[in-house]
Amino acid sequence: MSFWRRKKREGELDDEVRSHLEMAAKERANRGEATDEANRAARREFGNVGLVKEVTQDQWGWRWLEEFFSDLRFGARTLRKSSSFTAVAVLTLALGIGANTAIFSYVNAWMIKPLPYPRAERLMVFLSHDTKKGWTREGLTSTASFLDFQEQNTSFEQTALWTGWNFNLTGDGAPALVEGGQVSWNYFEALGVKPVLGRTFTPDEDQAGAGHVAILGQGLWQGRFAGDRNIIGRNITIDGEPYTVVGVMPGTFQFPLMGLANLWTPLALIDKARADRGSSSLTAFGRLRTGITPEQAGAESAAIFGRLEKQFPQTNANLTLLVGSMTDEIARKEGAPEVMICFCIVGLILLIACANVANLMLARATNRTKEFAVRGALGASGRRLARQLLTESMLLFFLGGIAGALFGLWGMHWIESEISGRVRGYLVNYGHVELDTTTLGFTLGMALLCGLVFGLAPAYENSRLNLNYTLKEASGQTSGSKRSARLRRIFVAAEIALAVLVLISTTLLVKSFLISARSSPGYNPANVMVAQLALPKTKYAEEPRQRNFSEDVLARIHALPQVVAVGVASSVPFGGFGQSVEVEAAEKPAPQPGERRGARFTAVSTDYFSAMQMGLVKGRLFDAADAQGGAPSAIINETLARHFWPNEDPIGHQVRFGQQHTVCTIVGVVRDIKMYDLRPRPERQMYVPLAQFPSATLGFVVRTAGNSTTMATAIRDTIWAVDRDQPISSVEPLETLMVVVDAGNRVLTELMVFFGLLAMFLGVIGIYGVMSDLVSQRTHEIGIRIALGASPPQVMGMVIGQGMKLALLGIVGGVLSALGATRPLATMLYQVTPNDPLTFIAVPIVFAVVVVAACYVPARRAMRVDPVVALRYE
Amino acid sequence: MAEKRVKYQNRIELLQGTLDLLILQTLQWGAQHGYGISVAIRNRSGEILQVDTGSLYPALHRLEKQKWIAAEWKVSENKQRAKYYRLTATGKKQLTRERSKWSQLSDAIAGVLQPGEK
Repeated sequence: MSFWRRKKREGELDDEVRSHLEMAAKERANRGEATDEANRAARREFGNVGLVKEVTQDQWGWRWLEEFFSDLRFGARTLRKSSSFTAVAVLTLALGIGANTAIFSYVNAWMIKPLPYPRAERLMVFLSHDTKKGWTREGLTSTASFLDFQEQNTSFEQTALWTGWNFNLTGDGAPALVEGGQVSWNYFEALGVKPVLGRTFTPDEDQAGAGHVAILGQGLWQGRFAGDRNIIGRNITIDGEPYTVVGVMPGTFQFPLMGLANLWTPLALIDKARADRGSSSLTAFGRLRTGITPEQAGAESAAIFGRLEKQFPQTNANLTLLVGSMTDEIARKEGAPEVMICFCIVGLILLIACANVANLMLARATNRTKEFAVRGALGASGRRLARQLLTESMLLFFLGGIAGALFGLWGMHWIESEISGRVRGYLVNYGHVELDTTTLGFTLGMALLCGLVFGLAPAYENSRLNLNYTLKEASGQTSGSKRSARLRRIFVAAEIALAVLVLISTTLLVKSFLISARSSPGYNPANVMVAQLALPKTKYAEEPRQRNFSEDVLARIHALPQVVAVGVASSVPFGGFGQSVEVEAAEKPAPQPGERRGARFTAVSTDYFSAMQMGLVKGRLFDAADAQGGAPSAIINETLARHFWPNEDPIGHQVRFGQQHTVCTIVGVVRDIKMYDLRPRPERQMYVPLAQFPSATLGFVVRTAGNSTTMATAIRDTIWAVDRDQPISSVEPLETLMVVVDAGNRVLTELMVFFGLLAMFLGVIGIYGVMSDLVSQRTHEIGIRIALGASPPQVMGMVIGQGMKLALLGIVGGVLSALGATRPLATMLYQVTPNDPLTFIAVPIVFAVVVVAACYVPARRAMRVDPVVALRYE
Repeated sequence: MAEKRVKYQNRIELLQGTLDLLILQTLQWGAQHGYGISVAIRNRSGEILQVDTGSLYPALHRLEKQKWIAAEWKVSENKQRAKYYRLTATGKKQLTRERSKWSQLSDAIAGVLQPGEK
């Protein structure tokens, strides 16, 4: 029987019963009874009309659904009636559930949803691995070896190479530096992405000397080229040379490993690059053939590289290529581990919030025992009452879930706004997350599940009352059951333990971040503007031209007002360029392939060190003596000095570096500086004079006297005064560059502060609620104590003591669990151990103090109890 | 309160099969409304079987759900509107089945009660 026609059938049943009664009454009247008497007798004979109707309706089935709806209606009414309880509960749940929603949206976007390529699970990245040293890193170590692998392997249907690149675009507008990549011809095919206009590269275009074609990104096409309908076949000028546009990629295309990219050209490797067996600047990925597993591909790669190792022991010793899932690699680089830590923490916070709400519900249940006793006396079965209470709690949690979804949405927007432009390129979907069906489903499902689990306790409580006892109790003196009170105490102790655990974890992470952020970068980044550019090799093929350019610009910038100092280097910290070379001590024998050491390599002008305010430790800085044609000199940092000459003065010794094995004499030692990582990490760094080693990439650092808002334009104009067509990257303060790179850590830290405070706040509210209720329920007892002579401080001490006992239990539990639980954080902590004693002592103390403060208010209330009133008020 | 419910359930259970039989049989003599059926059963059983409404109406609705009887609102002789039930074709077959079940049952009980072979 259909559910929807129920209303109609209920009406029909009413009519049927009414007609029965009328006929029975009529017949009695015909036999002589008075109308009133007949009616009453007919009714009596019929029986309990309501009960008969109910029993009959049972036959229709679907009763459970009808009861569910009536439970919902009733639940909504009761929730509306106790609006303050509902408001507090929904708000608490909104905070707990909302945090989960926000973090889950990232878990979903980064770890559950597949990459936006067809059959993305078949895409693998190649990682270089040293079997002896044990390190693994992205990128190849040997181009020639990979090309051999490409030929010999059978596991992959496509393998592609790429490297990030910055292109100088001139003509068609102001000169601009466009980010993109140089890629092998099958790069787009291997990913499975189709262009929105034109085509992708052909194998011919990927040959040495041939690669003067380009593919644009949709953003670049519509921006700089104004959506030119005839863009295919048009020539554009890249690095001073003409390139033909052959295709346009859709705006939705993104390759997170490369970052932001709007322009691609073929690699077109020259023979020397192809034959390079000792090094590589490229990264590679591949698409597995159908039927081949990643393990099989990995085994084949190990075999091939084993063979190459025997063939080329000089360059390939201990080196191999691992096969890893592209999805996992991207997730790891985005920060999936950090997201998982956040996810665990917000899960704990949700438990704390639910415990709070469960306590509120238990307290409210105590106040409703009379109501349920009466309903039980009227015939409601225990199961029916329990079902109604569960429905009510699930409704409450559902409302909390909706509020949580809204709060989570706000949180997602906030997090997204904190992620800056350049970093977005490395995040799937540019770091954008939405409240899609999966996330919404998770939110509401979580809410209902919690409602079911945490609603069980109050439901059980109120559905199994001893009716006799409860109804006889004087109103206002509801005792609640012992079980309920104990349960509330257990909940509070548990949530305090969880809150302490969360607070300890978040404090560790925040402390680690503060230590690394506070530590000096080795230079003074305040009031320093940075302008970066790359001189195109067509215009600046010869070194004298490069030298002249940089000297000219330096002189002009120096002449600008407000400029205190200026220097230039081949790459600046946290900038877009960077170079590393292999370096060795000249007097020691050449190291084995696996023993080679790299160092960050920067060519600097003579004023660079003073402009950056870097510290000199030994020897001297570069000066006029280190000019073109002079003896090649070098300055190294302390880590490099310690590495090669741990016990002697490195000044005067020589280093050998690079492909050409250039030799330089060390003239000075400087302090370590932070180059690409805000966390101080010992890194070998070396500097050579720009005059002796000119560079096509240049980063100008300009220290200004004050506010540098107008400086940016001035610097840009100065550079364009020297060369009108020189594209410049944005001119920004150095501090901005540093902040941008570290955006992820900063967001994480801000979240941790929020979560820690939230956990403590919820825990404190929990204990306040329980203590407050305790005092209310024991007003009678307290009145007696005072009447018998207890002094107010004694009463206060009693209440606070009770609260402290509970809290202490929770705090100890929290600390013990934290000892073990914080171990996974070790990789993320800098200079802080997972069991940092300071944190483990400070957090419990702070918590205890806060708990005492929370108990203070109810304790004062207890103190003020008027014994006369308390004793009289039964 | 709980006991009264048990009483109802017990009464329905004991009489459920038999009550169905009585109702179907009553309807074989013509369509009738709920009040009329209860009066008919009372009269025909010589005032012994007094089916109360708490058993009758659930039974009627159950039988209607099984499609053994069909219902129609008609005006009675007394110009009152009432819901009349009538036997369907499948209902007739069910009646035959119930009657034979009842005979079997009563024969079986009689066999046990008979002062028989010791």
